[in-house]
Amino acid sequence: MAKPKVKEINTQADFDERVRRLELSDETLIGLYRTMCTVRHFEYTADRLYAAGKVHGTMHLSAGQEAVAAGTRLALQPDDYLINHHRGHGHFIAKGADVNLMMAEFLGKDTGFNHGRGGSMHIADFQSNNLGANGIVGGGIPQAVGVGLALQMQRRKEICVCIFGDGASNEGVFHEALNMASLWKLPILYICENNKYGMSMDVERVVAKLPIAQRAEAYGIPWSTVDGNAVVEVYEAIKEAADHVRAGNGPYFVEALTYRYFGHSKSDRNLYRSKEEIEDWKQNRDPIMRFTKHLLQAEVLNEEQAREVDAQAEQVILKAVEFAEASPEPDLSTLMDYIYA
Amino acid sequence: MPVPFIMPKFDMDQEQATIISWEKRDGDFVKFEETVLTVETDKVAIEVPSPATGTLARITYKDGDVVPVTTIIAYILKDGETLADLPKADITPPLSKPEVDSVSQSLTSAQATPVAVRMAKEEGVDLSKVASSGDKITRRDVELYLANQTPASRVAVAATPAARRVAREKGIDLENVAGSGPRGRVQSADVSKTAKQIPASVSHGREAEVIPLTGIRRTIAERMQQSFQQSPHIALTVDVDMTEAEKVRKRFNAQAEKLAQPRVTVTALIIKVVAWALVRNPYINASFNSDSISLWKDVNIGVAAAAPQGLVVPVLKGADTLGVGEINLRLVELAERARENKLKLEDVQGGTFTISNLGMFGVRQFRAIINPPESAILAVGSAVRKPIVIDEQDRVEVRPIMSLTLSADHRVIDGIVAARFLSDLVTGLESPSMLLY
Amino acid sequence: MPEMTYLEAIRQALWQEMKRDERVFLLGEDIGVYGGAFGLTHGMLDEFGPERVRETPISEATIVATAVGASLLGMRPVAEIMFMDFVLLALDQIANQAAKMRFMFGGRTSVPIVVRMPGGSGTGAASQHSQSLESILMHFPGLKVVNPSTPYDAKGLMLASIRDPNPVCFVEHKVLYKTKGEVPEDDYMIPIGVAEVKRAGRDITVVANNIMVMKTLHIAERLAQDGIEVEVIDPRTLLPLDTETIINSVTKTGRLLVVHEACQTGGWAGEVIASVVGSPAFDYLDTPVRRLGGRDIPIPYNRGLEKFAIPQDADIEAEIRMMVAGKV
Repeated sequence: MAKPKVKEINTQADFDERVRRLELSDETLIGLYRTMCTVRHFEYTADRLYAAGKVHGTMHLSAGQEAVAAGTRLALQPDDYLINHHRGHGHFIAKGADVNLMMAEFLGKDTGFNHGRGGSMHIADFQSNNLGANGIVGGGIPQAVGVGLALQMQRRKEICVCIFGDGASNEGVFHEALNMASLWKLPILYICENNKYGMSMDVERVVAKLPIAQRAEAYGIPWSTVDGNAVVEVYEAIKEAADHVRAGNGPYFVEALTYRYFGHSKSDRNLYRSKEEIEDWKQNRDPIMRFTKHLLQAEVLNEEQAREVDAQAEQVILKAVEFAEASPEPDLSTLMDYIYA
Repeated sequence: MPVPFIMPKFDMDQEQATIISWEKRDGDFVKFEETVLTVETDKVAIEVPSPATGTLARITYKDGDVVPVTTIIAYILKDGETLADLPKADITPPLSKPEVDSVSQSLTSAQATPVAVRMAKEEGVDLSKVASSGDKITRRDVELYLANQTPASRVAVAATPAARRVAREKGIDLENVAGSGPRGRVQSADVSKTAKQIPASVSHGREAEVIPLTGIRRTIAERMQQSFQQSPHIALTVDVDMTEAEKVRKRFNAQAEKLAQPRVTVTALIIKVVAWALVRNPYINASFNSDSISLWKDVNIGVAAAAPQGLVVPVLKGADTLGVGEINLRLVELAERARENKLKLEDVQGGTFTISNLGMFGVRQFRAIINPPESAILAVGSAVRKPIVIDEQDRVEVRPIMSLTLSADHRVIDGIVAARFLSDLVTGLESPSMLLY
Repeated sequence: MPEMTYLEAIRQALWQEMKRDERVFLLGEDIGVYGGAFGLTHGMLDEFGPERVRETPISEATIVATAVGASLLGMRPVAEIMFMDFVLLALDQIANQAAKMRFMFGGRTSVPIVVRMPGGSGTGAASQHSQSLESILMHFPGLKVVNPSTPYDAKGLMLASIRDPNPVCFVEHKVLYKTKGEVPEDDYMIPIGVAEVKRAGRDITVVANNIMVMKTLHIAERLAQDGIEVEVIDPRTLLPLDTETIINSVTKTGRLLVVHEACQTGGWAGEVIASVVGSPAFDYLDTPVRRLGGRDIPIPYNRGLEKFAIPQDADIEAEIRMMVAGKV
């Protein structure tokens, strides 16, 4: 088993310098922290609900990847479009999706975003330009071409953010889409959320040449990689990329290196990686833990305040569960609804 | 040992017979060859003679039962034998509907391909009845056989959904409907036709005596249906001035009276002329086969007659070789037998042309349905006295005029051929002395 | 009324709709200067410019996906798949994405795209350029599958397809492109999901699509001389299928034959037949229901072989005669 590459963890000095340079206020930083806590509580709560038999089917949890979601959101404009992937709960929450409606959807309730038709894998929130998650690996990547094309044809300022995992970069449409997006200079920001495993397959076993982001080179798309567990670094990388795209220079490709704590889906027994590896990431590189440490040292907040933000985030999620549980099931008479417009 | 009394097989393709009535009862003494019961096949009613002299015992089937041929229907106890001598009872229940013979197991792969054998088994076909197109009977042969099967050999009633619906709506038992589709499948038109034949139906709330289709009635229904649907009928009508024919008949009758012979009927006269015309027009005396036409050398004219069970068509064999007197005598004799339901099988077989005369009932003109496998039938109407123009000077006279309508199978007979035949009939009947003397 | 070809009728519909609605744009391979493989979009680049007549790389999946994505932002894309055979490359985007999005997302969006695709044999294009895959597309709820047989229907259905809020697979036939018919200049729509009785008759219902409609109508004229009155129904839309019109017809005629070029096994005839047999029309069936589909083989190259891979006039005529005569 390939050992995880140990990354140079950024120092407090780096952090302070970056915060200053990027002009991030305390409020903004606490907001990032709050978002990450909310995502984590959502994921762990969803896991508990699953164990309690309340979530049906399967789920793809993103605990451990919260920094990518929070950092990305901060770098974008509220009206930018999001094409999401199956492990996208964090991105939805970061983009401002109502967690009540999300949780209701997880429980298959009629009040959920999708009236209980989609479940955890297909959350979409068109009011916040969140065009939905995709159950087909890579399925959304070429659709982003269409979103980008429409934005270009409609002469709009928004950009399309297309997020996918390391596994999706091996799908044929990934290459078709990057080629077309570059050819037409479409306003698309590609974010590859590399959490090291495509289901059980280590990225090193399935990608001929790393980093994945260098594939963009072949299509004339500028690219970068970033430590996906360092939220401010994520913000910086994505901001730079988004500015490039928004300026009309065509697409940009960012690869964020991160790690998921839960298995791929509920059927995963983690046979392809060691407990030690998981523990190492949890103990030494956890994005929330690292960010909290920096915030405490920078005195953005104290331990008690940090605990309080976390507790508030938990309350939000518990309320969402209450809302979801109190919500009605879809009426069986509506079975045939929503097929045709 | 008691003599088994079996249901005899009278005809090559006969599979069962219906018991009309037992003349004798259990315990009756019967003599060898004495009539014990009357049965009815698809074609005729037949008296069944006793196979031995003795006491009739264990009559197993009752009047109305349909019994497969070769089934034991009773025993004859010979002198000194008692009921105790009878073998253990092993009774085949009567058939509620026609049934085919079981598959002939004696046929081996020497005579049929394995596929044909298997198919025959599955379809309940007796391979001995299947004609082979080559060295062996093939699947294709079995298929052809099945395709040509009449409904009489159906195991269950095959009917289209539409036929079932129409039958349901009209209260008709599909068992009583002759199917015109492949393998005798009943189609909706078949049911509608049957419905018309049963004037009042239960579903209309009127009372009706429902006559089950059995024996001859069923055969008539099936054959007429089949004929009308399979052979494209054309019909041509001519009028014949019967003045001369009437004169000739009078002369014959005067002579017959002297000899105490039966009076010569118009039908006899017509048969004579028809026989002559058939010899001149061989295509009228023919049969259509799917890939050929048989022009018959014999002229065997059937005459439609009423019998208690329905229509029967006794056949005058070699009519072209007989004189009018002889024809008349044979005709009278056949008509008598038909009325008494005593026609023999050979009396009704082998026809090559049929005449149906309803003139005696005042029917002026009608079209008849061809009696397969024949290719034509002549419908004879009544002679009506009416004024007609008789010559070039437009002189009008009252003459007996009779309509003859020929129904012909257009697959065999073109309109012009039919017309020529009718023209010959007109000539023959308007100048009968030419033929008769 | 002007006469024009099936191909021209479709072009006119696209042209008029692009004039009327600036959200409408075309995308596909070689649809610009080349005018598309069959010249259908000929002249449109000059009229509408490269942004709205957008030529793409050979990337069928992403062509359809681009249409999907653009439609989510209110555009009305019409994508061209050069040969229907290539739709298989884009099937994920059609079947897993476009067809399901509205449903999966709880009715909160819709995907108003049209994917044009010429199918069918008869041009010697062999196995990978001659298929009739419309039956496959019928298996995805959320899609509409339109399949016009005449220039008139082609224009009216194209206008209806572009304005339909759902993803529409617009199945054309290469051999029909050159067939002519009267087509009004006006803006008119033929409703999607409504079959047309192309010819009324009492003896048998024949349901046929695209080129088989023409063949069957031709045969019906001939049979009428023999007193056999064939009712010819063109579903025009295969999904949703107008079973009501077909069922009503079969209730009248008592006989049903379905004719299509697509391979018989798994072909849409089975769907039509099952719908009829399971309906009240069952009680009116007076012959076994039958279907005549293409042979279950890839379309061969050789002219003679190609011809006999699909139902021929004589096959259709013989089948109708046998059925009407009650001989099947």
